[in-house]
Amino acid sequence: MKENTKTKSAGSGVLLDFLLNNKALAILVILCIGAAVLSPAFLSSRNLMNVVRQVCASSILGIGFTLVIASGNLDLSVGYMLGMLGVIMGLLSREQVPFPLVLLAGVVCGAVCGFVNGFTGVFFKLPLFIVTLATGQIYKGACQLLSNTSPVNGLQEAFKVLGQGYLGPIPIPIYIMAAVGLILWVVLNKTRFGRYAIATGGNREAARTSGINTSSVTIWIYVIMGICVSIAAMVMTGRAFSAQPAAGQGMEMDAIAAVVIGGTSLSGGSGRIIGTVIGCLIVGVITNMLNLAAVDSNWQLVAKGILILLAVLLDVATSRYFNEKMKKA
Amino acid sequence: MPNQNEIILEMKEIEKGFPGVKALDHARLCLKKGEVHALIGENGAGKSTLMKILLGIYHQDSGTVIYKGQEVDFKAPHDALTAGISMIHQEISLIPTVSVAENIWIGREKNYTRAGIINTKKRNQEAQELLDKLGIRIDAKQIVRELSVANMQLVEIARAVSYHSDVIIMDEPTSSLSDAEIEILYRIIREVSANGTSIIFISHKLEEIFEVCDRVTVMRDGQYISDHDTKEITQPELVTKIAGREIKDLFPKQESQFGEVALEVKGLCSGKTFQDVSFSVRKGEILGFCGLVGAGRTEIMRAVFGIDKFESGEIYVEGKQVHIHSPKDAIANGLAMVTEDRRGSGIISGLSVKYNMSLAYLSSLCNGLTFINKQKENSDAKEMSDRLAIHAASLDQAIGSLSGGNQQKAIVARWLLSGPKILILDEPTRGIDVGSKSEIHRLISELAVQGLAVIMISSEMPEILGMSDRVMVVRDGRLVGEFNRDEADQETLIQRAFGA
Repeated sequence: MKENTKTKSAGSGVLLDFLLNNKALAILVILCIGAAVLSPAFLSSRNLMNVVRQVCASSILGIGFTLVIASGNLDLSVGYMLGMLGVIMGLLSREQVPFPLVLLAGVVCGAVCGFVNGFTGVFFKLPLFIVTLATGQIYKGACQLLSNTSPVNGLQEAFKVLGQGYLGPIPIPIYIMAAVGLILWVVLNKTRFGRYAIATGGNREAARTSGINTSSVTIWIYVIMGICVSIAAMVMTGRAFSAQPAAGQGMEMDAIAAVVIGGTSLSGGSGRIIGTVIGCLIVGVITNMLNLAAVDSNWQLVAKGILILLAVLLDVATSRYFNEKMKKA
Repeated sequence: MPNQNEIILEMKEIEKGFPGVKALDHARLCLKKGEVHALIGENGAGKSTLMKILLGIYHQDSGTVIYKGQEVDFKAPHDALTAGISMIHQEISLIPTVSVAENIWIGREKNYTRAGIINTKKRNQEAQELLDKLGIRIDAKQIVRELSVANMQLVEIARAVSYHSDVIIMDEPTSSLSDAEIEILYRIIREVSANGTSIIFISHKLEEIFEVCDRVTVMRDGQYISDHDTKEITQPELVTKIAGREIKDLFPKQESQFGEVALEVKGLCSGKTFQDVSFSVRKGEILGFCGLVGAGRTEIMRAVFGIDKFESGEIYVEGKQVHIHSPKDAIANGLAMVTEDRRGSGIISGLSVKYNMSLAYLSSLCNGLTFINKQKENSDAKEMSDRLAIHAASLDQAIGSLSGGNQQKAIVARWLLSGPKILILDEPTRGIDVGSKSEIHRLISELAVQGLAVIMISSEMPEILGMSDRVMVVRDGRLVGEFNRDEADQETLIQRAFGA
């Protein structure tokens, strides 16, 4: 009998460990069940697709941000950068520049902005937190100058396909998000560069001593972030079929929240891309729930803030639990 | 003149153990009122631990501290300070962004406060009076950041004196002072001790001890060895007391065949840190670097390995000149370095043992410089961990959860995987348990036999003497002695290291 209870408690221990290791997924499942109970409309495939489609742009941003945080950095400029890149692509599109060139210009501009961020931080030995705080303002100003602070309309039809089109039953932005996620998951988990990024985030000094060029790793991380921003800008511009100067504002905070909810530690040295996507979905489901329940959008902000706090608290409690467990072992 | 025989502080039979090491074993210290008492011993002899117990930073496992005739047990440095014991640390502990006066009276602002407002004028004035009285020519209103390091040290001293303590502990107070400032310090010491304050003076410089101290207590391996009036002992006798230890530890050193010169360094200089450093090491040879902490051993090796920059000098690997500007360059030229600060620049504690091991040779693990060959990574890590007897539940567990000895072995594994020709080890066995220690010693010896050139920095004399084929002595940033294995003995090395 004694043995029996032991195996049983060990079994529930394994389940608990699994849930705590994948708490974002657990939270998402619980939320979805809750939402389905509260509002039957939630489970309709139309609504579900809608939820996923709405979080595509922020997921793409969050996926890039996971790399930034894994390498021990932060990027506060991504929101404004997104608005600016959208406007740049919008203006080119309005001038009837061939569509692939419009997209290419967006990617190149994103990479250049990212390079400017990373290089400034590395070359002048400044914290990137501060650098991107400053460059964010620059991108915001540039965005408003370029657009005259009004939306850029009259875009090519192809943009609409990018943001609103379907391939089979699934919206095109979801394919884009999946592709970005897959590529960066491979980069982070399978390549030398990914390992270098994680090592740099875990202990920069040890990484450098082990022969890693941490400066170049940092710069590349920001270039990749910039490219992700440009892709997110394409999706957002396409969805609205208009380049909104204020499109990305505040999205850097959403990205940080999604990354943390997804289980990536803010202190660097680890990165969970799938977790980040789930984090974005959690935010999306909550927004959707509140929308279905017709909650005021200002209250939605309050709810989002509380959610982020709870996620961080849960994260701290979990790591304490695992530390205690390791001590006992 | 105070009564010279009154005992103000007595520490008796102090014992203190840390996991795997006995830091203090029947340590003793007896301090009379108004005397300047030197505490001397090699690195790791237990001087700092003893002082930390006195201040309440650590707690002794057994033994008693009697202060002013009563048994005391301070819980924190603040308690000791209130009771009249202050300490001047080797590292500057001033707040750089505020004025000298604010630093001196820190924590005692209420003496200058009326109705919540600080009387700045009075505070500055009294600080200035204190400095003037001590003969320290510094403006009390100056911001600390603008002072030279030596002047900062003098402000620390003034602050310690300002508490009117009965006991002042000075931990290598002269290490950042030039001769003129040392004179000021000596004068202050003589003045305050004449007024009845007792001083515990920790120093590695023998001439200082004979210049300013009345008595000296010698410590070795955590034990009290002896105490003497400085008038009744000579410098050579004191050196014998500091060193006089039998080497009991067994070092499994194997005979090794020396090959050609693997690394040669010529005339390496870096400002005040080290000057004109030249040495070479052959394949199969273990070259030991000994000297006191702060002599510049670590800095020399960090420069050779490209972690820090150096001003001039040349480095040759296997006879060819190489240009090393970063650890990456050093690794490309066949160097590897296990750094002294395992937490700071060795392990990446959140990463798995396996990933920590593969970090320095990841490029050769990659197909076309991109994808990591995980199969080979796994098997190499497994093989290394068996060879080095790394005890870990799994190689996927975070390295931070291993014991210090196993962490160190994993870092050694990292560098062996990089396939080096020259292995630099900085304090390879510091702070690890005895078992792992002898395993690491056996490994180092084996590697040398296999033809690796090894450079080993160590502060432990037995380790240096037991492992090295040749020993270099570093003092004040210069190489001051070179001995073959059969010429080297403790006393000679310690004499060179202390500069006696």
